[in-house]
Amino acid sequence: MSRINIKPLALLLAPLAVLTACAAGPAEGANEAPSDSGAVGARTVQQIKDAGSIKIGVFSDKAPFGYVDSSGQYAGYDVVYGNRVAQDLGVKVEYVPVEAASRVAFLETGKVDLILANFTVTAERAEKVDFANPYLKVSLGVASPESAPITDIFQLNGKNAIVVKGTTAETYLEANNPEVKLTKFEQYTEATSALLDGRGDAWVTDNTEALAWTQANKGFVTGITTLGPADTIAGAVQKGNTDLLNWLNEELVTLGKENFFHKDFTETLEPVYGTTVSADDLVVEGGKV
Amino acid sequence: MDWTLVGDYLPLYGQAALLTLAVGVAGIAAAALVGLLVAALRYFKTPLASQLAGAYTELSRNTPLVVQLFFLYFGLPKLGVVISATQCAIIGLAFLGGSYMAEALRSGLDAVDRIQPESALSLGLTRWQALRHVVLPQAVAVAAPALTANVVFLIKETSVVSIVALPDLVYVAKDLIGNDYNTVEALALRVAAYLLLLQPISLAAQAWERSLRRGIGV
Repeated sequence: MSRINIKPLALLLAPLAVLTACAAGPAEGANEAPSDSGAVGARTVQQIKDAGSIKIGVFSDKAPFGYVDSSGQYAGYDVVYGNRVAQDLGVKVEYVPVEAASRVAFLETGKVDLILANFTVTAERAEKVDFANPYLKVSLGVASPESAPITDIFQLNGKNAIVVKGTTAETYLEANNPEVKLTKFEQYTEATSALLDGRGDAWVTDNTEALAWTQANKGFVTGITTLGPADTIAGAVQKGNTDLLNWLNEELVTLGKENFFHKDFTETLEPVYGTTVSADDLVVEGGKV
Repeated sequence: MDWTLVGDYLPLYGQAALLTLAVGVAGIAAAALVGLLVAALRYFKTPLASQLAGAYTELSRNTPLVVQLFFLYFGLPKLGVVISATQCAIIGLAFLGGSYMAEALRSGLDAVDRIQPESALSLGLTRWQALRHVVLPQAVAVAAPALTANVVFLIKETSVVSIVALPDLVYVAKDLIGNDYNTVEALALRVAAYLLLLQPISLAAQAWERSLRRGIGV
């Protein structure tokens, strides 16, 4: 029986050794030549044009910003922008559904060229990816049941707030309101479903999302419409992909001249918000707040 | 790999590993009970109950745990039944594991010659006594490899409980990645944590198997 004794230990250590070796490998791969699949390197504008399609990471469950509609097509504010980017590049668009927490990883591993997934610009994220100029403004909002509305964040002390992992709501509450207990989900649909089922006292998320959701769900209100600092939302590319970044910023200036995002707002957000929010409250034209 | 970061993350992973273990142990204990009951019902071919047990086995083995958890956590509240995330995870594991345990036990039970329980009954033992003292000790020894494989399998299955917001190892890693974007450290620790958790259990299971088989002379 003694012959078995060493093997498990070796088995235990081998994967760790492999992982460490991987981690110690090249980290400056950002601008290396791309390969066709599973590439780590970012693609330049020319490489995207040559390939004939751009890969854009969007949300698939976050109406009205990025979602899959009843006919199976990607739709929403971010998607209208994405379609235009592809059109102006003269390439086809390939949408990749992402979760909030995986947005950075999708860019780092080169699985997408661009993230247009309601991506709030933060200092921590800017260390890992490069943000283009913004196309939307946002702060946090708190949705809660009408029967027990949360109108001040301190009402949530000792109570349960639902958040989506990897969102600014999560980081803001952990830093500023540590007394609030957090129940964290990966998908927006899970978070909203949990709120409907009474698994939390409130859902903290971008005010745009909170407003849109409470507008569509009777019995719930956005008791706090602005919480935390005013943030901007922007497209993001892999760290160091200045070529695509510059192209995007120039594109934003061009789009600003035709008031593109106001039209985008009218098309995708106005039907949801009605008169509660005006375009100028949210939209950023030309990449300048 | 940033080792200071790994040090910072360790306590979080420790807590998460404890939760994974606690949910796993509770779920496995419940699954073993369900498995024993279902296997006994099918072994004695109790009318109706045996068919129900068969139907349960099919339903349980042919649906993924993640789907069962979704039903328990997000589906039941629509019918007015709200149970906590921990309860959902344990019930889910018991529901899934019960059929695997039952099938493993059944293979063991079938390996015991039918003449034995029949003799026991004719000697005046009750069905339960015959099962408990004559058939089960031999059946469990035969089924031991399958049973211990199920234990490891069920602990690994706990890796989906983060969908009901339970802070297990998968949840913590995903959370850290979402906040700090230190993907390599978070994922490496997750692999290491599962290995460290499961390897001793595997070894203990093997030892238990051997002692059991020696005891029964199989």
